[in-house]
Formats: sequence, structure tokens, C-alpha cells
Amino acid sequence: MVKMIQKTTAFERIVHLLLALSCLALLLTGLGFLYQQELGWLNTIFGGVHIARGIHNWGGIVFIVSLIFSLGTWVPECLKWTSDDSKWLGMLGGYLSREKDKEIPPQGKINAGQKLLGIVVFISGVIISISGLILWLSVPSALWVLIHNVCALLFAVFVPVHIYLATAANPGTFRIMTRGDVPLYWAKKKHPKWVKEIGAG
Amino acid sequence: MANGNAQQKLSGTDVVKARKGLMITPDLCIACRGCQTACKQWNKLPGDATTNSGTYENPPALTAHLYNQIHFIEKPKDVGIDWLFVRRACMHCGEAGCMDICPAPGALFRTDEGAVAFNKEKCIGCKLCVAACPFDVPRYDSDNKISKCTLCSDRISNGLSTACAKGCPTGAIRFGSRDPLISAASAAGYTVYGEKDLEGLGVMFALKGDYKEYNLPQPTYHAGIALWNSVIRPLSVIGLGAVAAGALIHYLTIGPKDVEPDETAKKGGE
Repeated sequence: MVKMIQKTTAFERIVHLLLALSCLALLLTGLGFLYQQELGWLNTIFGGVHIARGIHNWGGIVFIVSLIFSLGTWVPECLKWTSDDSKWLGMLGGYLSREKDKEIPPQGKINAGQKLLGIVVFISGVIISISGLILWLSVPSALWVLIHNVCALLFAVFVPVHIYLATAANPGTFRIMTRGDVPLYWAKKKHPKWVKEIGAG
Repeated sequence: MANGNAQQKLSGTDVVKARKGLMITPDLCIACRGCQTACKQWNKLPGDATTNSGTYENPPALTAHLYNQIHFIEKPKDVGIDWLFVRRACMHCGEAGCMDICPAPGALFRTDEGAVAFNKEKCIGCKLCVAACPFDVPRYDSDNKISKCTLCSDRISNGLSTACAKGCPTGAIRFGSRDPLISAASAAGYTVYGEKDLEGLGVMFALKGDYKEYNLPQPTYHAGIALWNSVIRPLSVIGLGAVAAGALIHYLTIGPKDVEPDETAKKGGE
């Protein structure tokens, strides 16, 4: 048996899953609305524009609730920015080459890319939630539509990258989201500072 | 002057060849409100309960059941007042912000005559068209569906004039092909409001004075929607395409990062 260590708690996994599912539903229905001529068929999959609107609005509530819990869970970790993080981001985490794995700066519990994603998700998440509520509950100014859409595009770019890096690009990573434990050898390589911090080495 | 509108690209459609429109001449209006009545009758719209607000203007604004309203402007002068009567209704813009912002396919659509019409069954009640309209036109009914003038699409597609023009006894509302309407108004010495703005308005005004005196707005396309159309939308397509292509190419060329168990890990696990 390979020695495993716990990276996420059950609470974190539930919050992340709610955030992920609502985010995907919002992205797909939102893209269907925003690019109605090209991607309107997305909302046909969701059962037509009327149901898609309901999914988008109430999915937004799920998103806001899970975002609030995520803020408390991950923001402190995301804000721990060190020189290693800057170096990591400078070489894009070594993802552009297979040769430089040894030079990748040691990372804490979450790496610099994940921290950047977290910061983008939290800032644009708060803005998209506020603008979304305004669009839903009032007769809005078209400026709110623009703000909402620009934030949505940030999600549309960052979320697929996050999904790719957390699945196909890093085999075995997906279980952090579903089961929460990782092999110790994997953690030592990917998150050495964290392993040292919790004394699991 | 009068030939530029025959072959334009309008919001939400291919080229409209025979664009129809209305020419409103406030100077000829006697405020009989026959147009309001004719419109309600043709479109089977119920009456609204209103209150007396000290003016003959009634109702005071467009409602979900009033597609066409005569607005009363009282301009004080030395003795008495000048009374201006201005028809308020959908202007059937060529470049229609409401159509460009609407997220529900087919809820707003362009007719063969160039009118902006709606399909209530497809409307999802989001009210973004209200945000985009420079003329404060769209209203929502009790089912939360859009409600506004359709330029009597069902009449004009069958060769009739709009109900409001038909009901107008003085020629203050004239219906016809857009270009001849413009020529006639220009020939009569009027300044035409809406000839070129927003790719030409379907409903124009023949004015003697400044449009501001008639409480008409400067027809403007919302800057936020324009920025989206011209810059952000194209950028977003590039960005989303780059992410998808980038991930695929990364996987196929550089490949995933496998982490192999090292010797100590294997020993520790045994």
C-alpha cells in the first residue's frame, strides 16, 4: 500500500463540488444566452430558454452560497504569496517543458497557479454575483450586463484551464476533489512545503 | 439623401429590401388620440385604469396595453401656451439595441418590412431590452412578457397600413415605404428626425424646430453594447478558442505530468 495523506476535508469537497457544478451550469446556460445565435442550442439541451433561465438564476444562488463558503476556506491560502510562487508563475509551473521538473520552486498546500485561479474566481465571482442579482431583481442598466459578461468571460477562460490541469494534465489529481487523499510521494513532489508544514514527511 | 436606406444590414436579419416606416408630423397632430384607440382595437389591448394628473395626456406613458401614446408638451408663451403633441411608440431602429442584447432566440425578430416584432412565447422576461432601448419603449405584461408596438406587422405584411396611420384623420401619422416618406417630408421643408440615426429609424419625425423641444432623445446605441459587439465579443472568441486549442496541443505535445513513486515511497509503503 502506498501511504496516503488527506489534502481536503469532506466539507471542502462538498463546497467545491457545489461551486463547480453551479459554475458549469451557469457557464453553459450563460454562453447559450450570450451567444444565442451560435450557442443557443446549449440551452435546448437544458430544456429550452425558459428552463435555462431558471437554472441560470437559481444556479446563481447555489453559486453564491458555495462561493461564500469557499471564500472562508481558500482565500487565506491564496493570499500566502511567496517568492517561490512568483518564480513558479514565471516558468508557468514547468508545464511548458518536461525537462525542467527539478527547477520547479517548492510549493505549499496549493501552487501559485491555483492561488491565481482562486484570486480570479473570488474577485470576479463577487462581482458577477452582485451584477447577476441586479440583472435578475431589477430593471438593470446595460452597463451591468457588460460587467456581468466580462466576469463571465474570465470564468470561461480560467475554469477550463483549471479543469484541464486538474484532470488530464495531472493524472491522479482528480481524486483530491472527489476523495480528498493523495499519495505521500505525490504530495512530496508537488507540495513539499505543505508536507513539511504538516510534518507528514 | 433618400436612397441610402434601401439595402442596409439591420440588427437581427439579412438585408431588408422594402423597409416600411412611419413619418410623424407633430405640427399636424390635433391630439384626438384616434391612433391610441385604433391601435388598441386592432391589437385587442384592454384599457388601463388611470388617474387625472391635471393634463389631457392620458394615460401618462406607454403601458403593456398601450403601444402608442400621444405625449402632451405645454410650452409657456407670452399669452397662453404652445401645445406640442408627440407620438411615443417603438421606433423600430435599424440598429436595434434590444435585439442585440436579447438572450432568447426569436423573442425579438425583424420582419420582412423591417419592423422589430416580438414573440411572447419565446420571451424569458429578463428585461434586458428595456436596458438597451434608447427610447424607453418596451413594457412587460402581467405574465412578465415583452409588450410593444410591432408596426402592425400582421397588417403591413398583408398590404394594409398600420392601425394608427389608418385612424389618423390629419395625416400626422403617415405609413409607407421609408424612402418616399423621407423625400416627401424633406420636400415639405421639414427636418427629418431618425433618417440616418441607428441605421435609420423605422419611425421618423418631420419637425420644424429642434427635436429637443419635442422631448425626443438623441438616438444613441448603448456604449456598453457597442463595446461588447466591436471589441470584447471578438476577443472572447479568440480567448476561448485559444484555451481549448492550447489544452489539446499541450496534452498531445508536452503531455501530462505523471508523478512516479520514488524508491523511498515504495519502501515506506511495504
